[in-house]
Amino acid sequence: MKIKDYIKQDAGFQYVIDNMEFMSSAGRRKALNTEFSSDADWLREEWRRLDKAVGATLEYKYKKPYIDLRHCLMQLHDLQGTLASLASHTTLNEVELFEIKNLALLCRTSRGAIVGLGLAEELPLPETTAVFDLLDPDHTGIANFYIYDSYDVRLAPLRRELAALQNAGGDPIRISELLTQQNEIQGEVCVRLSDQLSEWADTLITAMEQMAYTDFLLAKADLSIRWSLACPTLGEHTVYKGLVNPRLKERNEKMNLRYQPVDIELHKGVCIITGANMAGKTVLLKSVGTAQVMAQCGMFVPAGKATVTLVDDVVTSIGDDQDEMNGLSSYASEIIKISNILQRCRKEKLLVLIDEPARTTNPVEGKALVQAIAAILEHEASVTLITTHYSGLGVQCRRLRVKGFVEGMADVPITPQNINLFIDYSLDEDENDNVPQEALRIADILGCDREMTALARENINKL
Amino acid sequence: MPFVNDILNHRSLSIVGLEKNTGKTVCLNYILRRLNTLGVHVGVTSIGVDGEQVDSVFATAKPEITLYEGTHFITSEQHYLKRQVVSVVEAVDSRRTALGPLVTARVLVGGKVLLSGAATTGILKQQIASLDAMGCRLSIVDGALSRLSLASPTVTDAMVLATGAAVSANVKQLISKTRFVYSLINLEEIEPSLRDCLSNIESGLWAIDSNGEPHDLGIASVFLIDRAEKDILRFGKTLFASGAVSDRLLKVLATKEKGITLIARDFTKLFLTPEVYTDFVRRGHRLMVMQRSRLIAITLNPTSPQGFLLDSRSTCEALSDALQTPVYDVMKI
Repeated sequence: MKIKDYIKQDAGFQYVIDNMEFMSSAGRRKALNTEFSSDADWLREEWRRLDKAVGATLEYKYKKPYIDLRHCLMQLHDLQGTLASLASHTTLNEVELFEIKNLALLCRTSRGAIVGLGLAEELPLPETTAVFDLLDPDHTGIANFYIYDSYDVRLAPLRRELAALQNAGGDPIRISELLTQQNEIQGEVCVRLSDQLSEWADTLITAMEQMAYTDFLLAKADLSIRWSLACPTLGEHTVYKGLVNPRLKERNEKMNLRYQPVDIELHKGVCIITGANMAGKTVLLKSVGTAQVMAQCGMFVPAGKATVTLVDDVVTSIGDDQDEMNGLSSYASEIIKISNILQRCRKEKLLVLIDEPARTTNPVEGKALVQAIAAILEHEASVTLITTHYSGLGVQCRRLRVKGFVEGMADVPITPQNINLFIDYSLDEDENDNVPQEALRIADILGCDREMTALARENINKL
Repeated sequence: MPFVNDILNHRSLSIVGLEKNTGKTVCLNYILRRLNTLGVHVGVTSIGVDGEQVDSVFATAKPEITLYEGTHFITSEQHYLKRQVVSVVEAVDSRRTALGPLVTARVLVGGKVLLSGAATTGILKQQIASLDAMGCRLSIVDGALSRLSLASPTVTDAMVLATGAAVSANVKQLISKTRFVYSLINLEEIEPSLRDCLSNIESGLWAIDSNGEPHDLGIASVFLIDRAEKDILRFGKTLFASGAVSDRLLKVLATKEKGITLIARDFTKLFLTPEVYTDFVRRGHRLMVMQRSRLIAITLNPTSPQGFLLDSRSTCEALSDALQTPVYDVMKI
């Protein structure tokens, strides 16, 4: 799968890509077509390149080579169509030849800037001087293009006569004849140039794609600096120190709210996450998913420090997938999704993120289903996180508990608006099979109907 | 050499026609010819498609646009490849039009070209800026069909209005239609201080109180104005319409207490019929604009596409008398 597929299924990851500043549409295309990779060597190399690019950006951000390179990338046109025509020996017209000349010049200028940034090894661009020279017979050194007189000896005298006639308001029939002759010669030159250039088609395609990649790498480096992303290392377990959900962090900062990064360690098999409502369990799953996709697409991750274990794919069952158009209830679409995940886990190593499975059906069968899902996934190679409110599952697996609501954590009266100040989002290993029961207390804090919560407490005491 | 010197006081000029076949292209060719003899570096582009050899609506022969050595021009790739000039490509815009990307080129050996351009005023503004950066002393935008938006003072500094037998073969009607547009173009401009406080408003209908403070009337669209719950004159009788001003808005306002001043952005935002506008003014209200377009000249094409021919001298005179401004026959200048 590619980045463009992941942004459809993960709004958090979409937010990441939306915040990258591409200089060209080709750079954006390159980014969207980047594959999710499980190739450790490629990822290490990509992270190394990104690390170098971050260093170069920090050093040169407002200096000449960096500004020059960005300026070149801004002028980059996506010439996929023209270059494909060239490769298949189609004759290019003058406007297309201008575009080729411009690409050759941009590539040459970018090469210089990249050397200036010390990134020549990370961002190799092909030599395009020969292409530029072919399209610049008069050695003007600029991107302007037309069928120069020097391409064909017949052009200069013909154009001289044409100019003389035009200026003198001469015979329109003769003017028309001269124009026709000129167009024929220009056509011949276009055929000849296209033929000569077709040998360079592969080089030019490489130049185009490498410049698009350069744009993507600079955009990643810029984002890594702005968001303080961490370069991951590979390891047997995934370990995040200070994991952040970029979208939520930005939102909280805008609203002047506190944002608490979380530490988490993920192992093969199942980890059940419990915690009160509002304790950030769903956000945690989303953050873990986004970080994994970012890492395996060759990006840095939103954490203070990160070790990542590679998986074949990230699959999720988060949120209400009720699809009335398919005639499926929320339970039906969820259970079909989970069933598909289980089947894939028997063949692949996945990162599985399931948020409160079977919560929309009756608690007896629901709990039994969660037990079954956890028991099956515990023995697979995949890394699975399941959040739940069901107590006493009795499954042999790891458990983490969000600390959750802590009264007196802040020095102000609790209100529904500031309740976030009283929640400790950090995780504890949990030996206990019981889940915290804080739903009624939170309903009270939120100022919900007192009769409802009082009656609910009576009902619990009767049990 | 009428009105060409006046043009040189501006950086950009639009040529708009009241109708098709009112002689915009003849007028453009006249201006280009004159500016060439004066040695002025000109840039030319168009909005939409223009300069086709045969008029696509009436299939009558159309004059082509003649460019001279040194002129910069912007046209689409397809029309660029059909040009009858020798020219150098200097830039290609990555945004595509229906006729391919827009090409900016400089003429080496003069001749005829087909012009086509961006369909939006936003891109047009950028193009005028880029022609300016290439050293053009003046950028001229040729209009297409009966589009007036390019004549907005926010797009071009000055305008030439082309009218003619194509508008109406009846001289009285021709005068009355031209006079109406002329009166809208020449609507009085508001005070610069008031313009500054309105310049950041992007949408909606606003009222300006006696201290010059604007207040949003909370009417999302003027089409909903007759359903407005509160009195729209509660802040005073000076109103500002940031978008289009339609007959409907004027009709609603006309019925209110007299003495309303309605401010529009510029004359290209007015979509009014003479009857409604006249009634609005007759009831004691006033229409003003934030920014007035500088109308440099009115030209007349006495020939209509159906072959009808007006008497050039008497029509020019009659029009000139009615508008109190000089009118030129494009075929004779």
